[in-house]
Amino acid sequence: MRLPRLFRTNVFRLTLAYMALFALSVGALSAFIYSATLGYLDTQTNAIIEAEINGLRETYERSGLGGLRDVIEERAARDNEQERRSFYLLVDPIGRWVAGNVPAWPTGANEALGQWVDFVQSGSDTPVRALLLPVGAYRLLVGRDIRELTAIRQVLRRASIYGISLTLALALVGGLLLALSAERRLAEINRTTRQIMAGDLSRRAPLRGSDDEHDELAQNINTMLDQIENLLEGMRHVGDSVAHDLRGPITRLRNRLETVAAAEKPSRDDLADCVAQLDQVLSTFNALLRIARVESGAYRSAFTTVDLKPIVQDVYELYHAAAEERQVTLQGNAPESVEVFGDRELLAQVLTNLVDNAVKYTPPGGVVRIELARNGDRAQLRVADTGTGIPLEDHDRVLQRFTRLDRARSQPGNGLGLALVNAVTLQHHGRLTLGDNGPGLVVTVELPALALPRALIPSAAVR
Amino acid sequence: MRILVIEDDKDVASFIRNGLAQAGCNVDHAANGRDGLFLATTESYDALVVDRMLPGIDGLTVIRTLRASANTTPVLILSALGEVDDRVKGLKAGGDDYLVKPFAFSELLARLEALARRAKTGSDAPATVLRAGDLEMDLLRREVRRAGKPIDLQPREFQLLEFLLRHVGQVVTRTMLLEGVWDYHFDPQTNVIDVHISRLRSKIDKGFERPLLHTVRGAGYRLDG
Repeated sequence: MRLPRLFRTNVFRLTLAYMALFALSVGALSAFIYSATLGYLDTQTNAIIEAEINGLRETYERSGLGGLRDVIEERAARDNEQERRSFYLLVDPIGRWVAGNVPAWPTGANEALGQWVDFVQSGSDTPVRALLLPVGAYRLLVGRDIRELTAIRQVLRRASIYGISLTLALALVGGLLLALSAERRLAEINRTTRQIMAGDLSRRAPLRGSDDEHDELAQNINTMLDQIENLLEGMRHVGDSVAHDLRGPITRLRNRLETVAAAEKPSRDDLADCVAQLDQVLSTFNALLRIARVESGAYRSAFTTVDLKPIVQDVYELYHAAAEERQVTLQGNAPESVEVFGDRELLAQVLTNLVDNAVKYTPPGGVVRIELARNGDRAQLRVADTGTGIPLEDHDRVLQRFTRLDRARSQPGNGLGLALVNAVTLQHHGRLTLGDNGPGLVVTVELPALALPRALIPSAAVR
Repeated sequence: MRILVIEDDKDVASFIRNGLAQAGCNVDHAANGRDGLFLATTESYDALVVDRMLPGIDGLTVIRTLRASANTTPVLILSALGEVDDRVKGLKAGGDDYLVKPFAFSELLARLEALARRAKTGSDAPATVLRAGDLEMDLLRREVRRAGKPIDLQPREFQLLEFLLRHVGQVVTRTMLLEGVWDYHFDPQTNVIDVHISRLRSKIDKGFERPLLHTVRGAGYRLDG
């Protein structure tokens, strides 16, 4: 048999445990008060009785049995029947009444000489505590009304029972309310996740603004969903791009091949041309895959400490000859090591793409400058050229895949260079900005830099 | 050269077999991992071409098994998986080189020749002087001479020439150069390597009757001995 859902919730189970703990502590407290209060009253009652007995013993020693009887008679007559607090009884050796306000020796107390006895005074139903003593061959009973003691005992007992019951009831109600409210919050989140599993990815878990752990959970789930949505969007985008931008070149290639196949004597040049076209398609395809992979974060697990300085040197050295061929001056300036957390290969490709673009779009006589600098806790990688630049309104657009501005149509390329740069920069938690070099374009990649090793901090900076 | 090709795709396999046969190689073919492993352990080859994804025993397992039995035949891994971590996995399993599909046949041939050559000369003491014709490179003194005349090279040009000298007489592709000299595995869109080669060429060939550094059309470069 399954319990109703509420009773299976964790909060409810916790509440039950708390309830038991509360009941236990209230019980312990009640027990302490009970025993302490009753113990005190008991001692007091007994002390009064003992004081009376001491008085009676003195009388007996002074004036004998007759004196004792007179005092008892006198004291017994002092209280009326209703307000009687003290009880006395003197009996002769065979148990016959001699003096006192108790009609008969309490039954069952014959053997209890020298001991405390509780009994109920017949007739008035008064509970009495008494001490039984031998007086010569006679026996003496001195007692005290313990109605109050009994009443207090009952009050305390009742208070304990009520207290524990009330605690249990309150804990149960509180627990139910807690469980219900937690259950309601979780149910909202569960409902959302179920809807998402059913295909509606735009759903989000509701927030209450209470800033508690449920809100935090909902917030985390929502952030995770945003990421998933972005990834899916990226995947869809890759799919669209592949369909849209590879279909064109592939169609052209197909037509070309058909023409070649139909020719009487296909020439080697035609075929070599087809292979070259196909290689271009493949390079586009690979670039797309790489961007998608970078965006999926697949490279992140392999991130390590990378010094950007040797990368700048490598790329400068790789391109300066090619730039010279185009009569473009390539300048590299990386005065100090700047370390970032990232992937060497990807970062090198970022810089290669930027320098490649800059060299391609700078007219002869121009200058392309690579600069690496540390700017506080940011590594700043700038590639500035003196080319035609990119109009401000196109800055956002060139970061998209496959954007090729008119000026680029005459140059080889797949239009994925800056898109890859952007993707890699974002994966490194960096920022890519395009600016005006007046004339020309300046692209800045800012990445979070790792802290300098202490030994490398210039001493002036330490002071 | 005697080459074993372990590849399950019929078209790719026959493309490689025909190409290698035309280049004068003696080629055996296995269409699955089990047969390939059997041939590789019973016959002696100069190099193996192993596809990563094979029916039965996969390519990496074949290589691991060979290496575990102390078979050191150089292995070129062919794979459709081309990211850096895939490459690292392949090389960790015991592969010597990694080529991503689709590939140009010239690239495959150049890499295979480099592998087979390395296996033959690799056991000797490391050379301190590399030669091609009358070109001489002293690795200890970092000096290059041609016909006794010293040639002044930039550090990267020196590395580039060293790579070519280590593959003397073989075709070296642009990708091989980018990997071997610069240690980068991506493809720069502009052909920057060509410019470096032409600069190197002007330093080592200019003023000499016989050119040593040749461009192999559609494939790469070759330094002749």
